[in-house]
Amino acid sequence: MQGIERIGFLVNPIAGMGGRVGLKGTDGLVERARSLGAEPSARGRALEALRPLAGRDLRFLTAAGEMGETVLRDAAITGSSVVYHPSDPSTARDTREACRAFLDRGIDLLLFCGGDGTARDVADAVGGAVPVLGIPAGVKMFSSVFAVDPTAVGAVIPVSGPLRCIDGEVVDVDEEAYRSNEFRTVLHAVVRTPAAPGLVQASKQVFEEVEEERARTAIGAFIADAMRPGLLYILGPGTTTAAVAGHLGLEGTLLGFDAVQDGRLVGADLDERGILDLLGSAGEARLVLSVIGAQGFVLGRGTQVCSPAVLRRVGPEHVILLGTPGKLARTPELHIDTGDPDLDAAFGTHLQVITGYGTAQRKRRAVRSDHASDPPSPAKNVCRRNDRAKGA
Amino acid sequence: MQTKILLDEDEMPRRWYNIQADLPTPLDPPLNPKTFAPATPGDFASIFPMELIRQEMSMKRYIDIPEEVIEILRLWRPSPLYRARRLEQFLGTPARIYYKYEGVSPAGSHKPNTAVPQAYYNREEGIERIATETGAGQWGSAIAFATCHFDMDCTVYMVRASYDQKPYRKMMMQVWGAECHASPSSLTACGRSVLEKDPETSGSLGIAISEAVEDAATHANTNYALGSVLNHVCLHQTVVGLEAREQLASVDEYPDVVVACVGGGSNFGGIAFPFAGDKLTGKRPDIDIVAVEPAACPTLTKGLYAYDYGDEAGLTPILKMFTLGHDFVPPAIHAGGLRYHGDSPIVSRLVRDGTARAVSVYQNDVFEAAQTFARTEGMIPAPESAHAIRTTIDIALECRRTGEAKTILFNNTGHGHFDLAAYDAFYAGRLPDYDYPEELIRDALSRLPKVG
Repeated sequence: MQGIERIGFLVNPIAGMGGRVGLKGTDGLVERARSLGAEPSARGRALEALRPLAGRDLRFLTAAGEMGETVLRDAAITGSSVVYHPSDPSTARDTREACRAFLDRGIDLLLFCGGDGTARDVADAVGGAVPVLGIPAGVKMFSSVFAVDPTAVGAVIPVSGPLRCIDGEVVDVDEEAYRSNEFRTVLHAVVRTPAAPGLVQASKQVFEEVEEERARTAIGAFIADAMRPGLLYILGPGTTTAAVAGHLGLEGTLLGFDAVQDGRLVGADLDERGILDLLGSAGEARLVLSVIGAQGFVLGRGTQVCSPAVLRRVGPEHVILLGTPGKLARTPELHIDTGDPDLDAAFGTHLQVITGYGTAQRKRRAVRSDHASDPPSPAKNVCRRNDRAKGA
Repeated sequence: MQTKILLDEDEMPRRWYNIQADLPTPLDPPLNPKTFAPATPGDFASIFPMELIRQEMSMKRYIDIPEEVIEILRLWRPSPLYRARRLEQFLGTPARIYYKYEGVSPAGSHKPNTAVPQAYYNREEGIERIATETGAGQWGSAIAFATCHFDMDCTVYMVRASYDQKPYRKMMMQVWGAECHASPSSLTACGRSVLEKDPETSGSLGIAISEAVEDAATHANTNYALGSVLNHVCLHQTVVGLEAREQLASVDEYPDVVVACVGGGSNFGGIAFPFAGDKLTGKRPDIDIVAVEPAACPTLTKGLYAYDYGDEAGLTPILKMFTLGHDFVPPAIHAGGLRYHGDSPIVSRLVRDGTARAVSVYQNDVFEAAQTFARTEGMIPAPESAHAIRTTIDIALECRRTGEAKTILFNNTGHGHFDLAAYDAFYAGRLPDYDYPEELIRDALSRLPKVG
């Protein structure tokens, strides 16, 4: 694979404005945000990310005005062409249309500045066509497509040679609910994203035993081999669970819940009712879930399908969690919030996550009181190792 | 107050202790990997010298250490026994903690205790080159050091995960004149076949053993040397426990608990067998002997007690031992020396019979203990040794709770100077706590056809 030469670049100019003034996003609320005193921050963050790229042999395709053009100019980037003209003010539709215009002309990477909402629009337009990288500037950044911070962007884009990519999940998380101690998470899409900085430096590579894809294949093979005759296996959303279906030669639903029994697909894209019906007639069952998003969500109450009723019927001890080593390396702890504290507690303080063929890792489960007072900041690895540095 | 308990050079043991003489019934014999018949000395003759084959099967309680071997062991033996008072104080425990420090050897671990006699017996029988494998690199550097003293060539197949993590081990081997290759390599048929299936594999001890055995079996002037697992290797390591028992006796102590980590079982055997012998012969029936293994590779606590191959390709004799299956590739924990699917048949037998017990510990808990040890006692331990430290600390803290003043002895097998990248990862919060999915593995194995 050749190196990165052509980059599609866009800014969601209003991203992040809502957060400063206590709104849970900015879509449709720009004027209200402005009246509350919010100032656009996306431009500044995009500049921070782009300045280190000036002088590099890169060609940028962008949208006119503050949706990209002016930021590139102010970052002293010369090799750029405007290929899309947004409406004023720009909307989500402009994000999608700009992405399509970039794709039509050919790009190696899509770089956007915004939050989860922008990521969602980009993912809708780009899908898996090219890698996607986010410059974090939004209110919510729970999707795993963002650089750790804007200045890391330069390091993620290699000067020469191929870009090492992993799957990045674009998730919908209701941040307001999150702050009030609830998770409402839905996997919206899966895109390709560059492996995050800090994970590709030399000393790190020794811990990455396998690439994401290899790990996923191994996990899929292991779970498929471990499936017992007669048992009902419910496969949740995500690419890792999809690898299980893939190994069985089944066409799974990437973003939904499927059921497998004796190697056959017995339910596709199930809702809660559908799962409960299957569980009603089945004997023992297993629920197979992937770790999702940048913050390690396993079960959020927004995952209506995985309701407390479903979980109680399956039993927390029969929930099988899957995650690649790369994903777990970026996930300090796992979040379980079923909406039922007793049920949450039944999962214990540590969770076992299958990471390969016959291998697993133990991860700490985030404790509710932890995030009540101190929610882990989006798009950042929370390092709690210092807690341990105090001795026995 | 005395911190180091030392023996004079002339107090070094002159004989190794062979625990096979004191087992209530003989070990189940190793089996020929092709015929499944009990292995004969001839089955080993293409890769081992006769004297080591005799030791492997010997029922003699004591075996003399050759004078030429003792002369080399004198470079660092007898090794010191330390009283870990600062650690005791830090833990606030009434327990008395002693540790045998094997990091004083030229290679920095207990491994030269057997590398030297193995090289010696091979040289005595006209062998010119040793082929071997190494996990963390400790064994490779030990055998490089030993062969250098007997003017022999040495080829080491080093598990790729460690080869990448610990380049300095490879350089040490070079200083002592050995060649070191990342395993799987393209030099052997087994290596090539693994690489064909999985070019990016991190390797395993089982694969590296296959490569070294193949190398030895296909070159007349070359023998194989194993750094752990086999009876004669554990035998050579008993100098550690024999010295420790003398050193403790000199301060009127005898341990209530003996703790050591287990990969293949040789450092555990080295410190524990003399004490296990005291237990088996009824002299000290109450001594608690604890084998500590990684949760990532829990052979003794979650494996099956069964006949299995010692290596990936199935070239070695089949041994009765605790095993996770010879095709199990353990996660790349930093205690590379503990990444082995099986265990010494003797250690397995002791655990099966309840003479010793086994516990498993997680990687981050191990490094936390290593840090506590380094900040109290000073030495930065190897991650392998830190497994024993973790469990020693747990037992000492339990003593604090119960008020018992137990005497605990553990084997501090080596320093961690080549493992600092692992400490760095620990501080960065980047060390995974690898686990073993027991139930799913059982489900996966139940679908395989039963053989043997």
